[in-house]
Amino acid sequence: MESDEPMSEEHTIRIDVPASHRYLNVLGGCIAELFSRIDGLHEPQVVSYNVQLAVQEICANIVSHAYQGLAPGRIAVSFTVDQAPRRLVVDVRDTGRSFDIDAVPEPNLEEAQIHGYGLFLVRQLMDEMVYTPQGNNNHWHLVKNL
Amino acid sequence: MAFNTRSSEDAAVAELDGRFDAHIAPQVSAWIEEMAARAPARLLVNLSGVTFIDSTALATLVQGMKRARQQGGDLHLCCLQQPVRIIFELTRLDRAFDIYLSEDEAVTAFDS
Repeated sequence: MESDEPMSEEHTIRIDVPASHRYLNVLGGCIAELFSRIDGLHEPQVVSYNVQLAVQEICANIVSHAYQGLAPGRIAVSFTVDQAPRRLVVDVRDTGRSFDIDAVPEPNLEEAQIHGYGLFLVRQLMDEMVYTPQGNNNHWHLVKNL
Repeated sequence: MAFNTRSSEDAAVAELDGRFDAHIAPQVSAWIEEMAARAPARLLVNLSGVTFIDSTALATLVQGMKRARQQGGDLHLCCLQQPVRIIFELTRLDRAFDIYLSEDEAVTAFDS
């Protein structure tokens, strides 16, 4: 296990879904249920929505780009609720093609664009986003402070 | 996700419910392409039932708006729920689209 991953196995949920847009709603449902049992959050529905959208963007990116033209793959997602500091950690892994995240341009917000909002939204909605391409085992590490 | 469409002399209207994401976007995109090819291209997407929208859905709407404007028309949006509106604000797409509080207002605005 990598050093930046949380160790609280007891509060970790793992889901493995086919890399298909059809099944990504399952992750959103899981996140909503997870948040329904976290007490004391300021605007819990907003926080839940933000995490759902960030995870959706990462996974949709994996479906559309990492696995594009490859045999059907899978996406492994884990959610860990850490208590100290209080945060939700999301780790997403795929075995598709990696890419250079630094080469992805920021969207020009002065004019409506057709592409480029996905990673921008993740950065806006989460407190941390780290992408580590590792051969054919790419890793997204997202953190939302609660 | 429900995706219902209807057309009148005033506008072609799409009404969506639930998640508007990369899974449903191709269906909406096909409807936009078909409707934008008609004159006048007056398209209205009613988002009153949409509880979740992702960047693929945003891209579909931007593409539709550009297509409709190329045809001398427009694509209006109406009835955004708060979480959806926040995403439009974050991306500043609330400035690019004509967004209305009700379907009636959105349809009437095509004549203004």
